[in-house]
Amino acid sequence: MSTKKLVKFISYGALIIILFLIPLVITGPYQLHILIMAGIAVILTSSLRLIFNSGQLSLGQGGMMTIGAYTSTLLVMKMGWSTWVALGAATATGALLALLVGYPFVRLKGIYFSLVTVFLAEVIRLIAEQWRSVTGGSLGISNIPPPDPIKISGLLEISFTSKVDFYYLILVFTLISLLILYTLEQSRVGITWFSIRESDSLAESIGVDTTKFKVLAFCIGSLFAGLAGGLYSQYNSVITPSTFGFFYAVYVLIYMIVGGGRRFSGPIVGAVILTFVPELARILKGYQPYIFAVVVILIIIFMPEGLVSMPDRFIKLVTERRGHA
Amino acid sequence: MLEIRGLSKYFGGLAAVNEFDLSINKGELVGLIGPNGAGKTTTFNLVTGFLRPTRGKIMLEGNDIVGRKPHSVAKKGMVRTFQATSIFPNFTVLQNIVAASHLNPKVVFWEAALHTSNSHKQDEHILSQSLGIIQFMGMEGVKDTPAKSLPHGHKRILGIAIALAAEPKLLLLDEPLSGMNAEEVSETVGLIKRIWQRGITILLIEHNMRATMSLCQRIVVLNFGKKIAEGSPEEIKGNNEVIRAYLGTSKYAT
Amino acid sequence: MAASIYILVALGLTLVLSIMGIVQFAHGEIYMMGAYGAYYFCIVIGLHYLLALVLSTLLMGVAGIIIEKIFFRPFRQGDFLPSVIMAVGLMIMLQTTATVSFGSSIKVVTTPFHGIITIAGAILSWERLIIIVISGFFVVVLFLLLRMTKIGQAMVAVSQDMQGAALQGISVDNVSSFAMFLGCMLAGVAGGLMGAIFNLSPSMGGYALMKGIAVIILGGLGSLPGVVVGGLILGFIDSIVPPFMSVQMASMVGFISIILILIFRPQGIMGRPSQ
Repeated sequence: MSTKKLVKFISYGALIIILFLIPLVITGPYQLHILIMAGIAVILTSSLRLIFNSGQLSLGQGGMMTIGAYTSTLLVMKMGWSTWVALGAATATGALLALLVGYPFVRLKGIYFSLVTVFLAEVIRLIAEQWRSVTGGSLGISNIPPPDPIKISGLLEISFTSKVDFYYLILVFTLISLLILYTLEQSRVGITWFSIRESDSLAESIGVDTTKFKVLAFCIGSLFAGLAGGLYSQYNSVITPSTFGFFYAVYVLIYMIVGGGRRFSGPIVGAVILTFVPELARILKGYQPYIFAVVVILIIIFMPEGLVSMPDRFIKLVTERRGHA
Repeated sequence: MLEIRGLSKYFGGLAAVNEFDLSINKGELVGLIGPNGAGKTTTFNLVTGFLRPTRGKIMLEGNDIVGRKPHSVAKKGMVRTFQATSIFPNFTVLQNIVAASHLNPKVVFWEAALHTSNSHKQDEHILSQSLGIIQFMGMEGVKDTPAKSLPHGHKRILGIAIALAAEPKLLLLDEPLSGMNAEEVSETVGLIKRIWQRGITILLIEHNMRATMSLCQRIVVLNFGKKIAEGSPEEIKGNNEVIRAYLGTSKYAT
Repeated sequence: MAASIYILVALGLTLVLSIMGIVQFAHGEIYMMGAYGAYYFCIVIGLHYLLALVLSTLLMGVAGIIIEKIFFRPFRQGDFLPSVIMAVGLMIMLQTTATVSFGSSIKVVTTPFHGIITIAGAILSWERLIIIVISGFFVVVLFLLLRMTKIGQAMVAVSQDMQGAALQGISVDNVSSFAMFLGCMLAGVAGGLMGAIFNLSPSMGGYALMKGIAVIILGGLGSLPGVVVGGLILGFIDSIVPPFMSVQMASMVGFISIILILIFRPQGIMGRPSQ
């Protein structure tokens, strides 16, 4: 392994170890809550980027989350399933819904696709509101039980009662999700997606079934959105139809754009930092969204390619200065 | 190899292509010419699945391919280039070719996703193959340049290279020489000849008469969607119908 | 009647979309501010409703020009993603300002038009009739503007080919400003009119944006007559369904119809296929 790769490997390893050690330092439940929400946001934003890699911008991730959340919740509460299986089902429903609407949706270009995904999310929200007998209407469902305890006889027993337990749960899922997303992106499939985004017709003319690949991206992205929804429901114990509405999808979009859509790390950086910004501004109460908007706008003005382009810009700045000196 | 019979495409009441017949045998280098708007690119679109014919039969190596989507046609070995330059703009030249080679997978999806040693071997093979294509096309110097920064002529050549990477049996070139200066034209003509000598059958749309005459063994002339002449370059040169079709546009005199 | 409001909002939105190429996410908030503006001039200051409406509308138009200059013009070239952020950021800021300043107390704009009249057997309140008339007026004026005036033609040119229009000597800057001026005026007047019928709230903007987008998609991107048709259809659905089911169901019916239409006819009812 070359030194560059070795350095990368070690630094990522160190980062992961630090992430696992955080609860030893940060113990306040509120802070942990923020980190947990950041983790969920990371999963969502990265999954959005996966779909975006194939050239489509889906603004309906909120709808998939809602489906995932309700699926998991209803399976556990009304059918008595194990929470882990229910979580798997939630993930699957996200993908299945995308598969169902995928083929017709994907044929639409650009902004049309985005808008029709918005409508899909709205329809899901409205169904959740109206189907009171099943979903509890606009008040949603509360008292959702946390994940079933994991018991590996003699070795391990984890029950999910404190925030710390949830932190680790979300951390593990986030890391696994990122690993899967990254592997996909680096593979031939990833190259195919990028090629489709660069030039749809060119890819088609040399043998790529662009429709199939776009639907694939849409399904996988929605799969992770369903997962995020399921996780959220088991963490938060309350879900309503409007928890993941249009605004949430817009926020996720902001996370991706501000973090940087061109690099894999973009959504991660964006999601984490922008989850913290509203919290830091919380003292301003009603004006808090204002600060968020201003920060976001400022970042885009000065770094249109997103936060992750900072190192490149810095290098450029330094080398240009040197040139002048 | 390619058998087109009675191909027609109507847009509303207007026939863009009208009862077009064409046979191309393996190893030929055939030219398709005609004034602007004669229906040449439309024919390409129809044959490769980008447009659906109103009527007619298209057989590739004996298989009927009417109604197939473009990617399926490409997988069967017929690849086309575009009149408007089609490249992957943000990729480097090398990445363009590698991507194009990757898009014709010989390794199963899962193996690729999981980076098995098999897929690694494939990657190496693709890399060397891509470098080979780049060398063949004479583009080693720019292999790491982003495609969008290339001069126009290079972009057109890259477009051909991308099509080559898809390992076509039949290559459809749509005005490959457009926008090129004299030097680029003679380079590209040589390139097309070398591609043909490698055994790839070629159907060529071009406006540059001199190049077309020197390259093609057989030329088909289209006007208003109908075939008006077919034959060797000499026959076409002297054909009155052809001359009349081009009358008024002195640009096309040989 | 709802149809006319939808049409106004959607016209403004599509104007900005076709000419400037951006989805003006803050359009709904302009609508909301138009409503609050009308409220302010009419109830707080005490002007006649129509005068308040005019003032509020003009104010929104001017705001549009300022917004275009600050938020959108610097980002016209290149990637469209930054302009999305700008529009969204603006939306958040405006909504926050409204929520903070006006709070959630209910406000209504009362108009001097009371009573009902009967036209051809249908019973209409004067208020609603005025709304339809004013909306119709704006629609007609807009169409005439685009067809007959120089600036209107310039706008059409830019919407079809920005580069080409610039090469012909059209000032894209001026056209964009004017487009925003008109677009925001339309949103503002829609809000002001709507405020006469329904209660005002800081979140009314999101609803308007949804409806505007729905109308544009239904009627076809890039087609103004399509917007009118789409608005009428959607307005119709929203009037017919609620008595039988509910307002939410109406929205759902509307959305599902749009999804279905898009599947079978991706360009909308009257849209141009090459969009």
